[in-house]
Amino acid sequence: MTAAAIELREVRKSFGKTEIIRGVSLSIAKGERHALIGPNGAGKSTLFNLISGRFELSSGNILLNGEDITGLRPFEINRKRLSRSFQITNIFQNMTVYENIRCGELWAAGYKYSFWHRVGGLRDVAERTEEVLEKIGLAKRRHVLAGVLSYAEQRALEIGITIAGGASVILLDEPTAGMSRSETARAIELIRSVTEGKTLIMVEHDMGVVFGLADRISVLVYGEILASGTQEEVQASAAVQEAYLGSTHKEMADA
Amino acid sequence: MRYEPLNVGRWVLWGATALVFIVAPFVFRGGFALTLMTQMGIMIIFALSYNMLLGQGGMLSFGHAVYSGLGAYIAVHALNLAGKGAFPLPVALLPLVGGLAGLFFGVIFGYVTTKKAGVTFAMITLGLLELVFACVLMFPGFFGGEGGITTNRTAAPAPFGVNFGAPLQVYFLVAVWCFASMAAMFALTQTPLGRMANAVRDNPERAEFVGYNTQYVRFIQLMLSAFFAGVSGALSCVNFEIVSAENVSAVRSGGVLLAAFIGGFPFFFGPIIGAIVFVFFAAALSGFTKAWLLYLGLFFVGMVLYAPGGIASLVLMQFPVLRIGRFRELAWPYTGAGAAALVAIAGLVGIVEMVYRLSDTSLSSQMTLFGIDFDAKNTLPWIGFAVTLAAGIGLLRMAWRAVSARWNAIQHDLLARQKAAA
Repeated sequence: MTAAAIELREVRKSFGKTEIIRGVSLSIAKGERHALIGPNGAGKSTLFNLISGRFELSSGNILLNGEDITGLRPFEINRKRLSRSFQITNIFQNMTVYENIRCGELWAAGYKYSFWHRVGGLRDVAERTEEVLEKIGLAKRRHVLAGVLSYAEQRALEIGITIAGGASVILLDEPTAGMSRSETARAIELIRSVTEGKTLIMVEHDMGVVFGLADRISVLVYGEILASGTQEEVQASAAVQEAYLGSTHKEMADA
Repeated sequence: MRYEPLNVGRWVLWGATALVFIVAPFVFRGGFALTLMTQMGIMIIFALSYNMLLGQGGMLSFGHAVYSGLGAYIAVHALNLAGKGAFPLPVALLPLVGGLAGLFFGVIFGYVTTKKAGVTFAMITLGLLELVFACVLMFPGFFGGEGGITTNRTAAPAPFGVNFGAPLQVYFLVAVWCFASMAAMFALTQTPLGRMANAVRDNPERAEFVGYNTQYVRFIQLMLSAFFAGVSGALSCVNFEIVSAENVSAVRSGGVLLAAFIGGFPFFFGPIIGAIVFVFFAAALSGFTKAWLLYLGLFFVGMVLYAPGGIASLVLMQFPVLRIGRFRELAWPYTGAGAAALVAIAGLVGIVEMVYRLSDTSLSSQMTLFGIDFDAKNTLPWIGFAVTLAAGIGLLRMAWRAVSARWNAIQHDLLARQKAAA
């Protein structure tokens, strides 16, 4: 049996006396598109921060492709081919779109801290950058400073930086937050195409996006996983219905 | 596809720079001009190496003189040993010794200082500077105490008969090393490390999530920067034939910060301008007035307040205006503002110089300024200079209004053109 792409074992996280993540165990298979949903403050982003090494765990273990990555620092986890995006756009504002994507690639392409390669002469990096720019639809905007892009473009760039290094496990934190309907539709297509053959975990509020993309869904409420399964299984879950009384429940039923 | 541009402009620019280095001593003749240009070359290397930290890596260092200074100390000992025949080291290669020494101390100290970024980094560098400065005075055996260590550059082996006795030979030694260092430091900005240094400066968190250990990026950047600081230190050792505690002092560290800032640290070439201006103040103006440091300080404060991007930003701002051919409209307002500024400066200089003259009791109060003889104890010159200063400031405000009005109209036009193009 092959190891899961991501496996969480009894993961807990406290800030002071408040326990935000209360014993989450979750296994996500390779190649699966997994959505993490739940009300505000449920700990979805915190869970992402734990997996990607931004926060330290209070207890428990996280395994990436069967390898324990608990306690590793963000860059070490990234080098094991796990890459993430951020809920609040986190890009290199003073660099051009092209340079942003390139920054996402240099390490993965093996150039590391090199000060003997001319960055403009790296064929492989240049080709890969073109490819990513084409994919995220920003090829025409390559010379624009990232800081002056429109919101939707910045979100696309955020995804571009995340996938540029060719990571096998990709974490997207609310990739469509604040987007219009048409922008969201384009974002779904983008996410679908760039995560082809990869493992995707995303936090998302928009149920349309979730049901359109995810193979499986986990519902996180107050730091605990209430249910995990396919769309039908989750919708049928009594615990979820109880937690999601009201608008979201209706939204889920409608979708 | 722009990722590998055939950059003709860049080659022209570097060619022109090399040409300036070559013809400068024949255009600006005389011993003093040569001294000045030699010092400028040394300062350019130092300021550019400093900007590898501040401008490119976002590291505000208060102790960069540690690397140039210790590089200079190692160089002066190497030069003295070479002079005694201990090893055949030609003076021309001494900057390499200084550079390697700088690199060595960069590895040792940089490992500690670059553990943190931001304010913590700045504080650690300040502490380190004080530490090294104290050590230099504590171990006079190696560092020569207050008096420092003297040397004789002509005693070292002189291949091809070049013994660096003549100042022109020293100038060309500095020029060659300066040009090579400029080119090398520019090349470094075009490498993966150089780009990631920018990335770590702008957004360290994101850099960690694309696989980079920000501490290592800062560390390597600092090591390389320390190398070039050491090169400049060794060149100053060759030029002045003395290395003293002043070389590792806070004054030296502050000076390079000033130079980088005045020139414009956000731009690669900014510190080059800054170094030239700084040496002009420190070496040329200091010959005329004791108040040069005050003038430099005022100039610095003025730049920080009104042009935080330094002289380089002021120059670059004009290019779009030039491109659309509307610079001519600004020529008169600029001339007016320049003239008004000169009037204000004249008034200010008069007052400052009189204060200085009166504060130094060993001097007579009879003085000459701008070709006018007067007594600083009289009221009339005070009134005269005060009126000049006030008039200058008033004129400057008026001229400034004219400049801004024109400037805003042109910027408006530029924006409209940009929109039309898009």
